Amino acid sequence: MNVDIQSLGTFNQLAHEGAEQATQSMGQMTGIDAVVDVTKITLLDRADVGEELAGRDFVGVQFSFDGVLEGDTVLAFDVDSAGTITEEMMPGSSDDEAMARSGIEEIGNIMMSGFIDGWADYVGATIDHSPPEYIEESGGDVLPDAPENGDHQQVFVFKSEIEWIDESVNFYIYMLPEYESLTEMMVEHVDTDGDAIPIDKLQTFNEMTTSGTQKAADNVEMMTGIPTESEVTQISFAPIEDVPKQIGTDTFVGTVVEFTGTPSGYLMVLFDEISAINVAEAMMPIEMDSDELTDQHKAAIEELGNIMTSGFVDGWANVLQTSVEHTPPRVVHDMGRAIMDPLAAQVGQHQEHAFIIDSEMQTDDIEFKAEIHALPDEKELRAALDDLDVERATETGADVEQIFK
Amino acid sequence: MKVYDGSQTESPEQSTPERIKVGIAEYKVTTEPAVLTTSGLGSCIGIAVYDTRNTVAGLVHVMLPSAADIDGGNHAKFADTGIEALIEAMADAGASMEAMEAKIAGGSDMLDFSENGSSIGSRNAKKVRETLDEHDVPVVGEDLGGDHGRSVKLEADTGNFIVKSANTDSITL
Amino acid sequence: MPDVLIADDSEFMRNLLREILEEDHEIVGEVENGVEAVEVFKEEGPDLVMMDIVMPIRDGIEATDEIKSSNPDANVIMCTSVGQEEKMKEAVKAGADGYITKPFQKPSVMEAIEDVVPS
Ligand SMILES: [Mg+2]
Repeated sequence: MNVDIQSLGTFNQLAHEGAEQATQSMGQMTGIDAVVDVTKITLLDRADVGEELAGRDFVGVQFSFDGVLEGDTVLAFDVDSAGTITEEMMPGSSDDEAMARSGIEEIGNIMMSGFIDGWADYVGATIDHSPPEYIEESGGDVLPDAPENGDHQQVFVFKSEIEWIDESVNFYIYMLPEYESLTEMMVEHVDTDGDAIPIDKLQTFNEMTTSGTQKAADNVEMMTGIPTESEVTQISFAPIEDVPKQIGTDTFVGTVVEFTGTPSGYLMVLFDEISAINVAEAMMPIEMDSDELTDQHKAAIEELGNIMTSGFVDGWANVLQTSVEHTPPRVVHDMGRAIMDPLAAQVGQHQEHAFIIDSEMQTDDIEFKAEIHALPDEKELRAALDDLDVERATETGADVEQIFK
Repeated sequence: MKVYDGSQTESPEQSTPERIKVGIAEYKVTTEPAVLTTSGLGSCIGIAVYDTRNTVAGLVHVMLPSAADIDGGNHAKFADTGIEALIEAMADAGASMEAMEAKIAGGSDMLDFSENGSSIGSRNAKKVRETLDEHDVPVVGEDLGGDHGRSVKLEADTGNFIVKSANTDSITL
Repeated sequence: MPDVLIADDSEFMRNLLREILEEDHEIVGEVENGVEAVEVFKEEGPDLVMMDIVMPIRDGIEATDEIKSSNPDANVIMCTSVGQEEKMKEAVKAGADGYITKPFQKPSVMEAIEDVVPS
């Protein structure tokens, strides 16, 4: 099943415009001036959907929709912003629980129509949505269970992040379509067939990357003695100008490499400053116990980044029976977004949209979190997917003994 | 394009100026004493243009040098078309061409993997200068190049342009 | 015990290898790219080279190739983060005698050395 990049771009645009329409409706009802910060399509394991919401409480309005597209969609406000919204709509109403709830439901209802209508118009068919269902949940539980998808555990999620500048509160629109109905719709709306990617293989590729992340996490554990769990691995698709927004504005420490072969692109391993110091000290034979990031810390991070990078990309090469080379790591210590920016610009010279592969790992023992982001060149990624033999997908390891016998 | 004309400013006693965020490949224009901000400039460049006489200010965050090099994409993504669009929008909002001045920051060479040829950061800088020059808008302040990222703030009423890097104190251009 | 040349662009990794090896081996040099590796190999003629692959200027496979073609008796153990089958085959072709993947534990380094240069 092939889907062309152009139609993925169109779908992303539909979700973005839908979110803008929804945000505008809310603005008319509340006077709140909010903007849609970023919209992306993400392919990830269904168990990981909503992981990024962990640790926060949400008020949500949930709908199911059916027609040419089937699935669920949710508007998730964090608890405080829900209060502010109802207050703006009807002053005093946030104290009256039933009224506040009804206000949120209705806002949700109107926003959701705005969100869905563009899709229906695009496909020239109707998409109906159910009455709003009000929910209050913690973290990812605000989202419905992701739809089942046959043998695969992967689902597509459309996510828009809406930012409300004055209050600095964010809210989200998630759409979780049934895999089948979505991909059928994508296939039907292929504009050209020149740049099509085999969408089913993208799932396999994602699974390979998950094992690459696990390998990278194992490497961290071996070098530091810190038990490290790989968390989420996902592939997202977004306009190139939204790529740097995938990373926070905080300061990060890490490594960046360019990788070449099939696929090719850029890969960064990033730690927040505290994690960087913690992990570097765990690698060092001597006690440092420093609060400041020193050159010794950076040297340790440089090699850790190098080893994590290899762990991450080796699986691709082994499954594809090719080699993926990478440059020696360059150490970075800068604003996260500014690190991604020149890489997005370099990729953006040839393409308007990009796939971004994101992985995360962490540990409960000490404060430690690492992110891996890969920005593959679209053409090379397509070639990699074309070459991918799904049967070999688990052959991510190499047998040194066999080769050096 | 959004022109903030203040018609929906609710509270006149509001003391802190409004903050207007400008994303990558976006531009915004204001006629209020607002603060325009953009963050995470690596090889990208933030171009601030203002006319303090008429209180019109604008900021554009461009990513690549020229729209001619790639098809598609919005104008504000490129130095040449982005600056042009910004200047036009400012003129529409009442700025006078003669009074416009520009300050620019960004265009870092960080993480440039191209083995030969110049970095995107320096090509961006070249195109930004060229385009501003074509429109006779003088560059009165700049902080370009280097190997670090930047975030910027433009005070619309003063034309002060504050540049912040991750590991250093901010400077005002 | 064989004399060893360490080639790795990472200062951290050179230190780590030195700490593991210096007890039993003489370290004839520590270099950070493939060009220096070949040079120091020719000057010092160590019994063994611990060779990284991903290094600037010249990578470890090319350096190994040159070392082994000028001196087929040289012993080179690749010591690298790269765990790709195709890369390992390239290393074999260049003449590498062993292959250690990072991260490693001390015993596996000792074992690889014992295999390549039996005491
Ligand atoms: Mg290396």
